[in-house]
Amino acid sequence: MTISAPATVDELQTLIRDSERIHVIGKGSKTALHGNVNGAATVGLSEISGIIEYQPAEYTVTVRAGTAVHDLSAALDDEGQYLPFDPLLPAAATIGGVVAANLSGSRRFRYGGVRDFILGAEVVDGAGRAFRVGGKVVKNSAGFDLSKFLVGSLGRYAIMTELTFKVFPDVPRFRSLAFHYEQLEDALSAIYFINQSPYELDALDLVPPPLMNRGKKDGCWKLLARLAGFDETLPQRVERFSAAMTGETAPIQVKPLEDSASLWDPLAGLAGACLVKVALSPKQVPRFDEMVSRSPRRYGVGGNIVWLETEDIKQLDAALKSCELTGLCLRGVVESAVIGAPLENVLAARVKQVLDPQNKLV
Amino acid sequence: MNRALLAALENIYPADRLLTRDVELLPYESDALTAFSAKPGAVVLPVDEAEIIYTVRLCHEMAVPFVARGSGTSLSGGSLPIPEGLTIGLNRLNRIKKIDPQQRIAVVEPGVINLHITEAAQPYGLYYAPDPSSQSICTIGGNIAFNSGGAHCLKYGMTSNHVLGMKVVLADGAVTQFGSESIEGVGVGPDLVGLFVGSEGLFGIALEITVRLMPQPELYRTVLAAYDDLGRAGDAVSMVVASGLLPGAMEIMDRLAIKAAEASVNAGYPDAEALLIVELEGEAPQVNAEFEQLRRIIDASGAFESRVAKSEAERTRIWKGRKGAFSAVGRLSPDYIVQDGVVPRSRLGEALLEINALKAKYSLDVANVFHAGDGNLHPLILYDGREDGALEKAEALAGEILALCVNLGGSITGEHGIGMEKRDYLPAMFSEEEIDIMQALRLAIDPKEIANRGKMFPGGEAPALARQGMHPLERAGVISRE
Ligand SMILES: Cc1cc2nc3c(=O)[nH]c(=O)nc-3n(C[C@H](O)[C@H](O)[C@H](O)COP(=O)(O)OP(=O)(O)OC[C@H]3O[C@@H](n4cnc5c(N)ncnc54)[C@H](O)[C@@H]3O)c2cc1C
Repeated sequence: MTISAPATVDELQTLIRDSERIHVIGKGSKTALHGNVNGAATVGLSEISGIIEYQPAEYTVTVRAGTAVHDLSAALDDEGQYLPFDPLLPAAATIGGVVAANLSGSRRFRYGGVRDFILGAEVVDGAGRAFRVGGKVVKNSAGFDLSKFLVGSLGRYAIMTELTFKVFPDVPRFRSLAFHYEQLEDALSAIYFINQSPYELDALDLVPPPLMNRGKKDGCWKLLARLAGFDETLPQRVERFSAAMTGETAPIQVKPLEDSASLWDPLAGLAGACLVKVALSPKQVPRFDEMVSRSPRRYGVGGNIVWLETEDIKQLDAALKSCELTGLCLRGVVESAVIGAPLENVLAARVKQVLDPQNKLV
Repeated sequence: MNRALLAALENIYPADRLLTRDVELLPYESDALTAFSAKPGAVVLPVDEAEIIYTVRLCHEMAVPFVARGSGTSLSGGSLPIPEGLTIGLNRLNRIKKIDPQQRIAVVEPGVINLHITEAAQPYGLYYAPDPSSQSICTIGGNIAFNSGGAHCLKYGMTSNHVLGMKVVLADGAVTQFGSESIEGVGVGPDLVGLFVGSEGLFGIALEITVRLMPQPELYRTVLAAYDDLGRAGDAVSMVVASGLLPGAMEIMDRLAIKAAEASVNAGYPDAEALLIVELEGEAPQVNAEFEQLRRIIDASGAFESRVAKSEAERTRIWKGRKGAFSAVGRLSPDYIVQDGVVPRSRLGEALLEINALKAKYSLDVANVFHAGDGNLHPLILYDGREDGALEKAEALAGEILALCVNLGGSITGEHGIGMEKRDYLPAMFSEEEIDIMQALRLAIDPKEIANRGKMFPGGEAPALARQGMHPLERAGVISRE
């Protein structure tokens, strides 16, 4: 695969105009997205990178789409701020790739996902037109909000060259805890309890029992909870929260955990060849979980996302279809990155017709 | 009005839900941008989604323009009728179909009143977060059209950030669904919910909406600080932001707004050039600690007086003055226009100085009440519609304020939408090509341009200037402008 890497928007426009089919990648960290693109010219955005404007006092940052997430996060961190949607794969991904694939991490639980923090974008569409969508201030309701539309759009409607996000001040300290439950149902009940309580968690993930231990002593479900805030208030908050959880949800064990980035990396334990993201609602978890009980997996964001490894993509595809869910393969050799219930939608088709009438972007 | 359409509508709507007589149409001739009015050809009042779909398909088939209408509180003329077109009134689709406290979601019909969702969620310790001042009367359908906000949108966002899924009928009659009950939506694929929210009724009609509910904060701490200089209040906002605190709300009122609020709701505000309200919300121990930090900032910010709400009643009183400020100002003057521009927060001071200068240039009074946390200004321009040329003068001043917001790098609307009122200013924010692309998108969805024709895009036939004064509901004290 040869990759052209335009250095400017002009060059990107020319490339699009001169090509029949274009497939865009950030740095290619999500390999499954770049498998079967039918000989389209591959365009990499890593040269279109760098922070354009960062104003901590405005809570906004404008950045070129090929910027490494790692670099952007470091710049924000210097000012005590962060991207609250918690971009995934910070070591390898570009920020444009994170938006195009809609990949938020566990901390999304607190304030929202990519869609909630994107304010605007510069794009080049399939007709080679360069234009702006959305705005650059934290609040704007002028014009159609095509910037949100880009979230999850997989580079098929327009190629993002610049993005503006809302950012928030980060919290100084974290504490993490694990609550153990024998059954999935008990763990889900605990999530429902938290959902209706005033405890404000920074993250809430659910880890199934290790596969080899199913049914055995260590075979429990671990609900991982993270609190964030001031140093001086955390001990009291942790205590109140643990007491409420113990009283209301009867965990078989409560364990304080060493807080670390890897504890809150939902993909940390998922090293298998084929990695898939699925969005679902907590109440869809039991039925879906039964179908994937042999796959290593982790439920993120209070049971609203599942990350899983699979050896048998066909079987997963069928399971997803039967639950009317859609999955996105991030890693692995697959025929199509999108599996399960198809994404076809009449409104999306109309947008495609306008932004990419010749169906160049694949 | 198109005869064939009327005949077809008569087939499904009983006479009390198909309005055609002048006296029946009168209440639908304006929205809250009361300076404008137009007579619709007819008004239908569907009671379920099947009727809406049928009606939209008929309009499409017969190329008759329609406008969806919730409670008609749009401040930008968004729900202004299209002359000889059909107005589809949605107030009767007001059922809350489901509250699922465990997953923190509600499924509602489009005519459900914003505040009713919170009322239904309250027994479970939950609420619906976006809080426009009109929340006791405006509908979720209208909120979706404009991506409405409120005083408490700094932390958790506007309408768009709280809609998870919806079923819609597009302008050409196609029915489709977006999103899901998961807070992550479908997880992949373009965010169609995000695109539909804020489309100002130009794409079609939302039929059913899944919204996200939030747990009620355990504790609010609210402080009111008084300044003898508007700029200093603005600086205090910057200091709060720089400190790393993330309040639930930060609001400023200027002298004229304070005076009016005092006269009308007796909030007990200090006599000042500017008032700043900052509210922290969340878990009690954390909020209490943040509050200590906030107090130090306010003390250092040059406030000549600061008050802390010691009870829920005191908090309510602080907010009552703020939320009622604009109708209160409205009482000082026969007519007024509310503007909704946004500037980068750090340029608030500059913007306010400029507005002061414009005030003098036009010799009109302008009161300022604004969402300081997100730089969203609501200058309220006072005029007397009975004076010749007064509305035109007020509109010219409004136009200069919008231009100012764009020049400072902001937006012409933060939450009220373009509607009819600001459509000629769209080119101030977007290039010709950008507007062409939006227009092409609209045509791809609505080839006959029947959904809310004449709104958002520049040009188009202008409805007649007409009435003056407050929205009837405002006069009755039911709602207030923010
Ligand atoms: C006193 C007062 C205070 C206000 N305060 C605020 C505030 O604090 N923040 C704020 O953001 N706004 C505020 N507003 C503006 C207004 O209340 C909001 O824009 C509100 O969302 C409009 O709701 P509505 O039901 O009245 O809609 P309408 O005015 O009836 O309609 C507004 C638009 O929505 C479209 N629409 C209605 N229903 C649907 C549907 N189901 N599907 C698609 N489109 C639809 C209409 O076609 C129209 O374009 C205020 C207005 C007033 C009068």
